[in-house]
Amino acid sequence: MRQGLDLHGLSKSFKGSPVPALEEFSLSLAPGSCTAVLGPSGSGKSTLLRTVAGLEIPDRGSVLLDGQNLAAVRPERRGMAMVFQRPLLFPHLNVLDNVAFAATIRGVPRRRARTDAETFLDLVQMEGTGKRAVSDLSGGQQQRVAIARGLAARPEVLLLDEPFSALDPELRSAMHELLAQVREKLNPTILMVTHDRDEAAAVADHLALISEGKLLQHSTVQEMYTRPASLQVSRLLGGTNEIPGTVREGVHYSALGAHALPGNHQWPEGPATMVIRQEHVILLDEHSPGLLAVVTRIRTRGPRKLVTMEAAGVNLHAEATASPALATGDAIRIQLPTPALAVVGGTSEHRSAPLTSPDGKVLA
Amino acid sequence: MPAAEVLTARPRPLTAAGHGRKARVLGALLAVPAVLLVAFVVVGGSAMVAAQSLGLMPLVGRPELSTAAYTAHGGDLLVGAGLSLAIAGASTVLACLIGFTAALIMMQGRWCGKLVAAMSSLSIPVPHIVGAATAGLLLADSGLLARVFGAAERWPDIVGGQWWLAVIFEYAWKESAFVGLVVAGTLATRSVDYEETAALLGAGRLRRLRHVLLPLSLPALIISGTIAFIYSFGSYEVAWLLGRPYPEPLPVMALRLYNSVTLTSRPEAAAVAVVTAVVSLSAALAALACLRKIPLWR
Repeated sequence: MRQGLDLHGLSKSFKGSPVPALEEFSLSLAPGSCTAVLGPSGSGKSTLLRTVAGLEIPDRGSVLLDGQNLAAVRPERRGMAMVFQRPLLFPHLNVLDNVAFAATIRGVPRRRARTDAETFLDLVQMEGTGKRAVSDLSGGQQQRVAIARGLAARPEVLLLDEPFSALDPELRSAMHELLAQVREKLNPTILMVTHDRDEAAAVADHLALISEGKLLQHSTVQEMYTRPASLQVSRLLGGTNEIPGTVREGVHYSALGAHALPGNHQWPEGPATMVIRQEHVILLDEHSPGLLAVVTRIRTRGPRKLVTMEAAGVNLHAEATASPALATGDAIRIQLPTPALAVVGGTSEHRSAPLTSPDGKVLA
Repeated sequence: MPAAEVLTARPRPLTAAGHGRKARVLGALLAVPAVLLVAFVVVGGSAMVAAQSLGLMPLVGRPELSTAAYTAHGGDLLVGAGLSLAIAGASTVLACLIGFTAALIMMQGRWCGKLVAAMSSLSIPVPHIVGAATAGLLLADSGLLARVFGAAERWPDIVGGQWWLAVIFEYAWKESAFVGLVVAGTLATRSVDYEETAALLGAGRLRRLRHVLLPLSLPALIISGTIAFIYSFGSYEVAWLLGRPYPEPLPVMALRLYNSVTLTSRPEAAAVAVVTAVVSLSAALAALACLRKIPLWR
């Protein structure tokens, strides 16, 4: 019976590195789920994946697959396949033989292995390319073949190490769709690492946020965005609004006034920072009801605008579409919808440096 | 064209094809000095030796087209060719086996890998003649090993024996270092990633060796093996120092005939050299044909 993948207290340090790559990292993946491990560069994502795959030996902790401890199990016997950032198709084999590789080395007769491989090539919409050399394929096609090759090994767990990060946005979207189709048809347990939160949200049903080798939060995608466990989580997910104040009886009191918090959650009493994602802040004209704010800066991001405002001495950020037409110095009204509010314990510290997103973009 | 038009006319931008053609011409021009020098030495030298072997450039007497130089020692020439092929073939096979193993050990990156890499790097600059002298002092029936083991009477004929073991050993030792470093250089940039990928697809160590590492190394093995073969086939000093007086491998025979007091032996020496060059060229062409069949090379 499938019980999924369990990681217990994984720790891993590398010689010469002052900080551990993984520190007491625990995570449970249900069978058939897709979990994206999200974190900035150097946070230990790839080390985690390599440790799960058996390519790195953890200093402490264990990896359990369907209840079996994999500590003494070699990578080739773990029932996992991994797709890397680079497709790493074997250059001495053609496309079909690459996909048939796992079956071939298991001793399956070549003809049967190739027939089997063709079904996986069809699955990734690469039918008819079997006889081509891998060097004849584009980057996206090669990554499709790499996924087909991984799936053809019939792994219990498919590990994806930033497999789409080298592809252009259009191709990435196509690969996300492909992964969704693969999940529908084969339902493997997928553990994927990425530094792109949009990709993580598009592909996975669960997110695990990692920073400096530690698990910050593991939850559904929706919960991660709307109920961050800490300010660090909120920031790593691109959240920019932090309003210090105090929570009393489900209401957050701050310079912006009293804001009732969503009733479906037990909020801790005492000093707390209210967070709301910038895309949830509603901008209205000056005559509408809401908090009065003055626009201090506008940055255009393609079809959207990142609007920085000051309301009652608090800096706030909102993501707006092209309308309404705004200019620096405009007085506007803002609303903070209750369902989008969350609080995290403690007050936010002063941030002198601009915030950066996990993919390195400056957010504010 | 009107003057105003001439003044304002700009050179037409080159198309991609034009750029490619220009780059090719420029590349060819840059290579011309080296090509001319190599052509002068190789083609000129080969032509002179061929002409000498065919009696067209005698030291004494009138030039006369003849194959006499090839038939003068016909039997010895064939035996020598066979012997040279056997020595070069055996030493090349051994060098490839040892070199490939050494490359795999080097790729492990542990202390033993570093040691093997250091030993291989040290072996490369040692001249063959020094290696041959060392092998002689070490492996002869009066050599160091025979004395250490106190087995002078029972010591096998490694040096000067009928199986030319010392010669094969010396070539294998020297060329295996070369093969090892070439293969390790090829594998260094790619083997770890492909090995890990193969392992995660279920391939154990032997399967990875058979299905991944060996195919990835094959072009480098063929190229370095061919170079080792051609060198072993054409060099004389090791066989001359460690081999038997008779039969003679081709390079030893060529050297003896060339140094002969009989000046008429020069065309015969040239004939032996031509046969050596033809066999070496055939080996190179065969290696190229093999490489073309390998998908990785294509």
